Amino acid sequence: MDDRSFVAAQDFLLSAKTYWSTTMYRTLRDKSAAANKDVVDEQVETVASIAQCIEDAPLYQFYAWLERHLQRMKYAGRYGLVPYHHERRDDLLSALNQAFDAEKILDIDTSLALPAYYTGVDIHQHPGGVWSDAIAGMVYERGARTTTPLTGAAEKDVHERFTDLVLGECSPTTVLDMGCGFGKSTQPFVRRLPDSSIDAVDLSAPCLRLAADTALQSQAGNVRFRQMNACDTDFDADSFDLVTSTMVLHELPPKTIEELLDEAFRVLSPGGRMVHLDFYCVPDAFRRFVHYGHARRNNEPYMQPLAELDLSVLVESKGFVDVEITPFQESDRVDLNADDAWRFPWTVISATKPEGAAS
Amino acid sequence: MTQESKSPRAEQQFFDDPAIDRIMGAFMALATEHYVLLDRVRAMERELVSVGTLDRGALAREPSESERAETAIDRTAFVEALMRPLLGEQDAAGATGKFSLK
Repeated sequence: MDDRSFVAAQDFLLSAKTYWSTTMYRTLRDKSAAANKDVVDEQVETVASIAQCIEDAPLYQFYAWLERHLQRMKYAGRYGLVPYHHERRDDLLSALNQAFDAEKILDIDTSLALPAYYTGVDIHQHPGGVWSDAIAGMVYERGARTTTPLTGAAEKDVHERFTDLVLGECSPTTVLDMGCGFGKSTQPFVRRLPDSSIDAVDLSAPCLRLAADTALQSQAGNVRFRQMNACDTDFDADSFDLVTSTMVLHELPPKTIEELLDEAFRVLSPGGRMVHLDFYCVPDAFRRFVHYGHARRNNEPYMQPLAELDLSVLVESKGFVDVEITPFQESDRVDLNADDAWRFPWTVISATKPEGAAS
Repeated sequence: MTQESKSPRAEQQFFDDPAIDRIMGAFMALATEHYVLLDRVRAMERELVSVGTLDRGALAREPSESERAETAIDRTAFVEALMRPLLGEQDAAGATGKFSLK
Protein backbone atom coordinates (compact mmCIF):
# COMPACT_ATOMS: atom_id res chain seq x y z
CA MET A 1 0.00 0.00 0.00
CA ASP A 2 1.22 3.51 -0.64
CA ASP A 3 1.49 6.18 2.05
CA ARG A 4 -1.57 8.09 0.87
CA SER A 5 -3.88 5.08 1.03
CA PHE A 6 -2.58 4.15 4.48
CA VAL A 7 -3.08 7.64 5.86
CA ALA A 8 -6.55 7.97 4.31
CA ALA A 9 -7.68 4.64 5.80
CA GLN A 10 -6.23 5.42 9.21
CA ASP A 11 -7.83 8.89 9.15
CA PHE A 12 -11.19 7.30 8.31
CA LEU A 13 -10.86 4.82 11.16
CA LEU A 14 -9.92 7.61 13.56
CA SER A 15 -12.94 9.67 12.48
CA ALA A 16 -15.15 6.62 13.03
CA LYS A 17 -13.56 6.18 16.48
CA THR A 18 -14.26 9.82 17.25
CA TYR A 19 -17.94 9.42 16.35
CA TRP A 20 -18.02 6.25 18.47
CA SER A 21 -16.39 7.94 21.47
CA THR A 22 -18.63 11.02 21.37
CA THR A 23 -22.07 10.74 19.75
CA MET A 24 -22.41 6.99 20.08
CA TYR A 25 -21.07 6.93 23.64
CA ARG A 26 -23.44 9.70 24.76
CA THR A 27 -26.42 7.99 23.16
CA LEU A 28 -25.53 4.71 24.85
CA ARG A 29 -25.08 6.49 28.18
CA ASP A 30 -28.49 8.16 27.92
CA LYS A 31 -30.28 4.99 26.87
CA SER A 32 -28.59 3.06 29.66
CA ALA A 33 -29.65 5.66 32.23
CA ALA A 34 -33.24 5.59 30.96
CA ALA A 35 -33.36 1.80 30.99
CA ASN A 36 -31.84 1.55 34.46
CA LYS A 37 -34.19 4.15 35.86
CA ASP A 38 -37.08 1.72 35.41
CA VAL A 39 -35.22 -1.09 37.15
CA VAL A 40 -32.97 0.14 39.94
CA ASP A 41 -32.24 3.33 41.84
CA GLU A 42 -29.21 5.24 40.52
CA GLN A 43 -27.58 4.86 43.91
CA VAL A 44 -27.54 1.08 43.69
CA GLU A 45 -26.58 0.70 40.04
CA THR A 46 -23.94 -1.93 39.46
CA VAL A 47 -22.02 -3.22 36.46
CA ALA A 48 -24.31 -6.24 36.49
CA SER A 49 -27.52 -4.18 36.63
CA ILE A 50 -26.36 -2.03 33.72
CA ALA A 51 -25.36 -5.11 31.75
CA GLN A 52 -28.78 -6.61 32.42
CA CYS A 53 -30.48 -3.52 30.99
CA ILE A 54 -28.29 -2.66 28.02
CA GLU A 55 -26.34 -5.64 26.73
CA ASP A 56 -29.14 -6.94 24.51
CA ALA A 57 -29.85 -3.54 22.96
CA PRO A 58 -28.73 -3.23 19.31
CA LEU A 59 -27.08 0.10 20.08
CA TYR A 60 -24.80 -1.52 22.65
CA GLN A 61 -24.04 -4.40 20.33
CA PHE A 62 -22.93 -1.97 17.60
CA TYR A 63 -21.01 0.06 20.16
CA ALA A 64 -19.17 -3.03 21.38
CA TRP A 65 -18.53 -4.36 17.88
CA LEU A 66 -17.08 -1.05 16.75
CA GLU A 67 -14.80 -0.77 19.78
CA ARG A 68 -13.39 -4.19 19.00
CA HIS A 69 -13.13 -3.91 15.25
CA LEU A 70 -12.07 -0.31 14.71
CA GLN A 71 -9.03 -1.24 16.80
CA ARG A 72 -8.57 -4.47 14.83
CA MET A 73 -8.64 -2.56 11.56
CA LYS A 74 -6.20 0.00 12.92
CA TYR A 75 -3.58 -2.72 13.43
CA ALA A 76 -4.43 -5.51 11.01
CA GLY A 77 -6.22 -5.93 7.71
CA ARG A 78 -5.50 -4.29 4.38
CA TYR A 79 -4.57 -0.83 5.69
CA GLY A 80 -3.42 -1.78 9.18
CA LEU A 81 -0.33 -0.54 10.98
CA VAL A 82 1.27 -3.99 10.91
CA PRO A 83 1.13 -4.62 7.13
CA TYR A 84 2.09 -0.99 6.43
CA HIS A 85 5.25 -1.26 8.50
CA HIS A 86 5.94 -4.81 7.35
CA GLU A 87 6.15 -3.60 3.73
CA ARG A 88 8.77 -1.06 4.85
CA ARG A 89 10.62 -3.41 7.19
CA ASP A 90 14.11 -3.28 5.63
CA ASP A 91 14.23 0.51 5.37
CA LEU A 92 12.90 0.96 8.91
CA LEU A 93 15.40 -1.44 10.45
CA SER A 94 18.41 -0.18 8.56
CA ALA A 95 17.64 3.39 9.62
CA LEU A 96 17.31 2.26 13.23
CA ASN A 97 20.44 0.11 13.40
CA GLN A 98 22.78 2.77 12.00
CA ALA A 99 22.20 4.92 15.05
CA PHE A 100 23.61 2.50 17.63
CA ASP A 101 27.11 1.86 16.38
CA ALA A 102 28.88 4.37 18.58
CA GLU A 103 26.62 4.76 21.57
CA LYS A 104 26.15 2.98 24.89
CA ILE A 105 22.65 4.20 25.50
CA LEU A 106 21.03 0.81 25.01
CA ASP A 107 21.48 -2.51 26.81
CA ILE A 108 19.55 -5.46 25.35
CA ASP A 109 19.48 -8.66 27.39
CA THR A 110 19.00 -11.45 24.87
CA SER A 111 18.78 -14.01 27.70
CA LEU A 112 15.85 -12.31 29.44
CA ALA A 113 12.88 -14.67 29.81
CA LEU A 114 9.65 -12.85 29.02
CA PRO A 115 6.81 -13.65 31.43
CA ALA A 116 3.84 -15.69 30.23
CA TYR A 117 1.32 -12.95 31.06
CA TYR A 118 3.24 -10.69 28.65
CA THR A 119 3.51 -13.07 25.73
CA GLY A 120 0.16 -14.81 26.12
CA VAL A 121 -2.04 -12.00 24.82
CA ASP A 122 -1.57 -9.56 21.94
CA ILE A 123 -2.34 -6.42 23.95
CA HIS A 124 -4.14 -3.58 22.16
CA GLN A 125 -4.92 -6.14 19.42
CA HIS A 126 -1.40 -5.60 18.11
CA PRO A 127 -0.71 -8.88 16.23
CA GLY A 128 2.36 -10.48 17.78
CA GLY A 129 2.36 -7.97 20.64
CA VAL A 130 4.93 -5.23 21.18
CA TRP A 131 7.81 -7.65 21.63
CA SER A 132 7.93 -10.42 18.99
CA ASP A 133 8.89 -8.52 15.84
CA ALA A 134 11.89 -6.22 15.35
CA ILE A 135 9.59 -3.50 13.95
CA ALA A 136 6.99 -3.84 16.73
CA GLY A 137 8.24 -0.70 18.50
CA MET A 138 7.63 1.41 15.42
CA VAL A 139 4.18 -0.10 14.91
CA TYR A 140 3.33 0.65 18.53
CA GLU A 141 4.67 4.20 18.30
CA ARG A 142 2.55 4.99 15.26
CA GLY A 143 -0.51 3.46 16.89
CA ALA A 144 0.01 5.35 20.14
CA ARG A 145 -0.24 8.69 18.35
CA THR A 146 -4.03 8.33 18.53
CA THR A 147 -4.40 6.84 22.04
CA THR A 148 -6.08 10.06 23.18
CA PRO A 149 -7.78 11.26 19.96
CA LEU A 150 -9.78 13.98 21.68
CA THR A 151 -6.65 15.82 22.79
CA GLY A 152 -6.05 18.86 20.63
CA ALA A 153 -2.96 18.87 18.42
CA ALA A 154 -1.78 22.13 20.02
CA GLU A 155 -2.05 20.72 23.54
CA LYS A 156 0.68 19.08 25.56
CA ASP A 157 0.33 15.34 25.29
CA VAL A 158 -0.50 13.15 28.28
CA HIS A 159 3.13 12.34 29.06
CA GLU A 160 4.13 16.00 29.13
CA ARG A 161 1.21 16.79 31.42
CA PHE A 162 2.12 13.91 33.72
CA THR A 163 5.75 15.06 33.85
CA ASP A 164 4.58 18.60 34.70
CA LEU A 165 2.62 17.19 37.60
CA VAL A 166 5.44 14.96 38.91
CA LEU A 167 8.19 17.58 38.65
CA GLY A 168 5.90 20.13 40.26
CA GLU A 169 6.23 18.12 43.45
CA CYS A 170 9.86 16.92 43.41
CA SER A 171 13.25 17.59 41.81
CA PRO A 172 14.89 14.18 41.41
CA THR A 173 18.51 13.65 40.41
CA THR A 174 17.99 9.94 39.75
CA VAL A 175 14.91 8.59 37.98
CA LEU A 176 13.72 5.11 37.05
CA ASP A 177 10.97 4.76 34.41
CA MET A 178 9.47 1.30 34.78
CA GLY A 179 7.98 -0.18 31.60
CA CYS A 180 9.08 2.72 29.41
CA GLY A 181 7.91 1.18 26.11
CA PHE A 182 9.33 3.14 23.18
CA GLY A 183 10.34 5.95 25.51
CA LYS A 184 7.44 8.35 25.12
CA SER A 185 7.01 8.48 28.90
CA THR A 186 10.76 8.90 29.45
CA GLN A 187 11.39 11.70 26.93
CA PRO A 188 9.82 14.55 28.95
CA PHE A 189 11.91 13.63 32.01
CA VAL A 190 15.04 13.45 29.85
CA ARG A 191 14.38 16.92 28.44
CA ARG A 192 13.30 18.52 31.69
CA LEU A 193 16.09 17.03 33.85
CA PRO A 194 19.29 17.47 31.78
CA ASP A 195 21.53 17.16 34.85
CA SER A 196 19.80 14.08 36.26
CA SER A 197 20.53 10.44 35.59
CA ILE A 198 17.57 8.61 34.10
CA ASP A 199 17.21 4.85 33.69
CA ALA A 200 14.35 3.33 31.74
CA VAL A 201 13.53 -0.37 31.59
CA ASP A 202 11.14 -2.46 29.56
CA LEU A 203 10.62 -6.07 28.50
CA SER A 204 10.41 -5.23 24.78
CA ALA A 205 13.69 -5.07 22.86
CA PRO A 206 12.03 -3.57 19.74
CA CYS A 207 10.51 -0.77 21.83
CA LEU A 208 13.78 -0.08 23.65
CA ARG A 209 15.66 0.19 20.35
CA LEU A 210 13.25 2.85 19.18
CA ALA A 211 13.44 4.64 22.54
CA ALA A 212 17.23 4.75 22.37
CA ASP A 213 17.16 5.89 18.74
CA THR A 214 14.83 8.75 19.61
CA ALA A 215 17.05 9.76 22.54
CA LEU A 216 20.13 9.69 20.33
CA GLN A 217 18.47 11.89 17.75
CA SER A 218 17.80 14.47 20.44
CA GLN A 219 21.42 14.07 21.66
CA ALA A 220 20.31 13.13 25.15
CA GLY A 221 23.24 12.12 27.33
CA ASN A 222 21.40 11.57 30.59
CA VAL A 223 19.38 8.45 29.84
CA ARG A 224 20.03 4.74 29.48
CA PHE A 225 17.50 2.19 28.19
CA ARG A 226 17.83 -1.37 29.46
CA GLN A 227 15.90 -4.55 28.69
CA MET A 228 14.89 -5.70 32.13
CA ASN A 229 11.87 -6.87 34.08
CA ALA A 230 10.77 -3.89 36.18
CA CYS A 231 9.79 -6.31 38.94
CA ASP A 232 13.29 -7.75 39.18
CA THR A 233 15.96 -5.18 38.27
CA ASP A 234 19.67 -5.25 39.04
CA PHE A 235 19.77 -1.71 40.36
CA ASP A 236 21.18 -1.18 43.84
CA ALA A 237 18.82 -0.61 46.72
CA ASP A 238 18.11 3.02 47.62
CA SER A 239 19.38 4.27 44.25
CA PHE A 240 16.56 6.45 42.85
CA ASP A 241 14.85 9.64 44.02
CA LEU A 242 11.89 8.99 41.74
CA VAL A 243 10.38 5.79 40.38
CA THR A 244 7.64 6.21 37.82
CA SER A 245 5.55 4.27 35.33
CA THR A 246 2.98 5.22 32.73
CA MET A 247 0.22 2.87 31.59
CA VAL A 248 2.03 -0.18 32.99
CA LEU A 249 0.07 -1.34 36.06
CA HIS A 250 -3.02 -2.27 34.05
CA GLU A 251 -0.91 -4.62 31.92
CA LEU A 252 0.13 -6.64 34.99
CA PRO A 253 -1.62 -9.42 36.92
CA PRO A 254 -2.27 -8.43 40.56
CA LYS A 255 0.57 -10.64 41.84
CA THR A 256 2.99 -8.92 39.45
CA ILE A 257 1.76 -5.49 40.56
CA GLU A 258 2.76 -6.48 44.08
CA GLU A 259 6.21 -7.49 42.83
CA LEU A 260 6.59 -4.19 41.00
CA LEU A 261 5.65 -2.25 44.14
CA ASP A 262 8.15 -4.28 46.15
CA GLU A 263 10.87 -3.50 43.62
CA ALA A 264 9.97 0.18 43.52
CA PHE A 265 10.26 0.29 47.31
CA ARG A 266 13.64 -1.48 47.22
CA VAL A 267 15.30 0.78 44.65
CA LEU A 268 13.87 4.04 45.99
CA SER A 269 16.01 6.10 48.33
CA PRO A 270 14.39 6.82 51.71
CA GLY A 271 12.20 9.87 51.15
CA GLY A 272 11.95 9.07 47.45
CA ARG A 273 8.65 9.27 45.60
CA MET A 274 6.89 6.63 43.49
CA VAL A 275 4.39 7.96 40.92
CA HIS A 276 2.37 5.86 38.49
CA LEU A 277 -0.05 7.08 35.80
CA ASP A 278 -2.66 4.47 35.02
CA PHE A 279 -6.38 3.67 34.72
CA TYR A 280 -8.00 3.24 38.12
CA CYS A 281 -10.52 5.78 39.46
CA VAL A 282 -13.75 4.85 37.69
CA PRO A 283 -16.40 7.29 38.91
CA ASP A 284 -19.66 5.39 38.48
CA ALA A 285 -21.20 2.06 37.54
CA PHE A 286 -21.87 2.95 33.89
CA ARG A 287 -18.30 3.96 33.26
CA ARG A 288 -17.11 0.86 35.11
CA PHE A 289 -19.33 -1.23 32.80
CA VAL A 290 -17.82 0.55 29.79
CA HIS A 291 -14.27 0.22 31.18
CA TYR A 292 -14.53 -3.51 31.78
CA GLY A 293 -15.98 -3.98 28.31
CA HIS A 294 -13.11 -2.00 26.82
CA ALA A 295 -10.64 -4.24 28.66
CA ARG A 296 -12.05 -7.38 27.10
CA ARG A 297 -12.47 -5.89 23.65
CA ASN A 298 -9.00 -4.34 23.53
CA ASN A 299 -7.17 -7.46 24.79
CA GLU A 300 -6.38 -6.01 28.21
CA PRO A 301 -6.98 -8.94 30.59
CA TYR A 302 -5.57 -7.21 33.68
CA MET A 303 -7.36 -3.88 33.35
CA GLN A 304 -10.43 -5.04 35.30
CA PRO A 305 -8.40 -6.74 38.07
CA LEU A 306 -6.46 -3.48 38.57
CA ALA A 307 -9.68 -1.47 38.77
CA GLU A 308 -10.97 -3.85 41.43
CA LEU A 309 -7.82 -3.79 43.58
CA ASP A 310 -7.74 -1.73 46.77
CA LEU A 311 -4.56 0.02 45.65
CA SER A 312 -4.33 2.34 48.63
CA VAL A 313 -4.27 -0.57 51.07
CA LEU A 314 -1.89 -2.55 48.85
CA VAL A 315 0.61 0.30 48.47
CA GLU A 316 0.57 1.01 52.21
CA SER A 317 1.10 -2.70 52.92
CA LYS A 318 4.39 -2.46 51.04
CA GLY A 319 5.72 0.15 53.48
CA PHE A 320 4.91 3.32 51.55
CA VAL A 321 3.44 6.39 53.23
CA ASP A 322 1.62 9.50 51.97
CA VAL A 323 -0.34 7.42 49.46
CA GLU A 324 -2.34 9.59 47.06
CA ILE A 325 -4.71 8.32 44.37
CA THR A 326 -6.26 11.08 42.30
CA PRO A 327 -8.01 11.39 38.91
CA PHE A 328 -5.81 12.87 36.18
CA GLN A 329 -6.97 15.33 33.53
CA GLU A 330 -5.30 14.14 30.33
CA SER A 331 -6.44 17.14 28.26
CA ASP A 332 -7.62 20.72 28.77
CA ARG A 333 -10.73 19.70 26.86
CA VAL A 334 -11.70 17.12 29.47
CA ASP A 335 -14.03 18.05 32.31
CA LEU A 336 -13.49 15.45 35.03
CA ASN A 337 -17.00 16.16 36.36
CA ALA A 338 -18.68 15.58 33.00
CA ASP A 339 -19.33 12.38 31.08
CA ASP A 340 -19.72 13.59 27.53
CA ALA A 341 -17.21 11.36 25.77
CA TRP A 342 -15.53 8.00 26.22
CA ARG A 343 -12.19 8.30 27.97
CA PHE A 344 -9.78 6.22 29.98
CA PRO A 345 -10.12 6.67 33.78
CA TRP A 346 -6.70 8.31 34.03
CA THR A 347 -5.40 8.23 37.60
CA VAL A 348 -2.19 9.18 39.38
CA ILE A 349 -1.08 6.78 42.12
CA SER A 350 1.77 8.15 44.22
CA ALA A 351 3.46 7.31 47.51
CA THR A 352 6.66 7.97 49.45
CA LYS A 353 9.24 5.59 50.86
CA PRO A 354 9.61 6.82 54.44
CA GLU A 355 12.86 8.31 55.71
CA GLY A 356 14.83 5.66 57.55
CA ALA A 357 13.05 2.77 55.85
CA ALA A 358 15.08 -0.37 55.20
CA SER A 359 14.92 -1.72 51.63
CA MET B 1 1.73 -9.44 8.35
CA THR B 2 2.91 -12.99 7.90
CA GLN B 3 0.50 -15.88 7.61
CA GLU B 4 2.09 -17.54 10.67
CA SER B 5 1.24 -14.59 12.91
CA LYS B 6 -2.50 -14.83 12.28
CA SER B 7 -4.35 -16.19 15.28
CA PRO B 8 -6.68 -19.15 14.83
CA ARG B 9 -8.82 -18.09 17.79
CA ALA B 10 -12.50 -17.45 17.18
CA GLU B 11 -13.36 -13.74 17.10
CA GLN B 12 -15.45 -12.23 19.90
CA GLN B 13 -19.21 -12.12 19.32
CA PHE B 14 -21.32 -9.04 19.95
CA PHE B 15 -24.62 -9.63 18.15
CA ASP B 16 -27.22 -12.30 18.91
CA ASP B 17 -26.66 -13.65 15.41
CA PRO B 18 -22.92 -14.11 14.75
CA ALA B 19 -23.61 -13.61 11.06
CA ILE B 20 -24.14 -9.92 11.82
CA ASP B 21 -20.69 -9.73 13.41
CA ARG B 22 -19.18 -11.06 10.23
CA ILE B 23 -21.21 -8.98 7.79
CA MET B 24 -20.26 -5.92 9.82
CA GLY B 25 -16.65 -6.83 9.20
CA ALA B 26 -17.24 -6.89 5.47
CA PHE B 27 -19.23 -3.67 5.70
CA MET B 28 -16.50 -1.78 7.52
CA ALA B 29 -13.84 -3.11 5.17
CA LEU B 30 -15.86 -1.79 2.24
CA ALA B 31 -16.45 1.50 4.00
CA THR B 32 -12.74 1.91 4.57
CA GLU B 33 -12.01 0.98 0.97
CA HIS B 34 -14.57 3.51 -0.17
CA TYR B 35 -12.95 6.24 1.83
CA VAL B 36 -9.54 5.35 0.51
CA LEU B 37 -10.90 5.55 -3.03
CA LEU B 38 -12.61 8.84 -2.29
CA ASP B 39 -9.37 10.23 -0.98
CA ARG B 40 -7.53 9.09 -4.06
CA VAL B 41 -10.05 10.53 -6.50
CA ARG B 42 -9.91 13.83 -4.67
CA ALA B 43 -6.16 13.82 -4.90
CA MET B 44 -6.24 12.97 -8.59
CA GLU B 45 -8.62 15.82 -9.28
CA ARG B 46 -6.35 18.15 -7.39
CA GLU B 47 -3.40 17.09 -9.48
CA LEU B 48 -5.26 17.36 -12.77
CA VAL B 49 -6.42 20.86 -11.96
CA SER B 50 -3.06 22.07 -10.84
CA VAL B 51 -0.71 20.57 -13.45
CA GLY B 52 -3.02 19.43 -16.24
CA THR B 53 -1.56 15.91 -16.36
CA LEU B 54 -1.51 12.75 -14.26
CA ASP B 55 1.49 12.13 -12.00
CA ARG B 56 1.17 8.81 -10.13
CA GLY B 57 4.16 9.52 -7.90
CA ALA B 58 2.51 12.66 -6.68
CA LEU B 59 -0.73 10.80 -6.04
CA ALA B 60 1.05 8.23 -3.90
CA ARG B 61 2.80 10.74 -1.73
CA GLU B 62 1.63 11.14 1.88
CA PRO B 63 -0.69 14.15 2.13
CA SER B 64 0.42 17.20 4.04
CA GLU B 65 -1.13 18.10 7.37
CA SER B 66 -2.91 21.04 5.76
CA GLU B 67 -4.35 18.79 3.03
CA ARG B 68 -5.63 16.38 5.67
CA ALA B 69 -7.17 19.25 7.57
CA GLU B 70 -8.99 20.36 4.40
CA THR B 71 -10.76 17.01 4.14
CA ALA B 72 -11.60 16.67 7.83
CA ILE B 73 -15.09 18.26 7.65
CA ASP B 74 -16.19 16.06 4.78
CA ARG B 75 -14.73 13.02 6.51
CA THR B 76 -16.72 13.79 9.63
CA ALA B 77 -19.93 14.13 7.57
CA PHE B 78 -19.24 10.85 5.83
CA VAL B 79 -18.77 9.07 9.14
CA GLU B 80 -21.97 10.64 10.48
CA ALA B 81 -23.96 9.33 7.47
CA LEU B 82 -22.41 5.90 7.84
CA MET B 83 -22.83 5.49 11.58
CA ARG B 84 -26.01 7.38 12.45
CA PRO B 85 -28.28 4.46 11.34
CA LEU B 86 -26.69 2.39 14.09
CA LEU B 87 -28.37 4.59 16.70
CA GLY B 88 -31.78 3.26 15.56
CA GLU B 89 -33.51 6.64 15.57
CA GLN B 90 -35.97 7.89 12.94
CA ASP B 91 -35.17 10.86 10.71
CA ALA B 92 -38.90 11.27 9.84
CA ALA B 93 -41.60 10.49 12.41
CA GLY B 94 -43.63 7.35 11.75
CA ALA B 95 -44.54 3.94 13.12
CA THR B 96 -41.79 2.26 15.12
CA GLY B 97 -40.75 -1.28 15.83
CA LYS B 98 -40.67 -4.49 13.83
CA PHE B 99 -43.32 -4.90 11.10
CA SER B 100 -45.07 -8.21 10.58
CA LEU B 101 -48.20 -9.45 8.84
CA LYS B 102 -48.11 -12.85 10.55
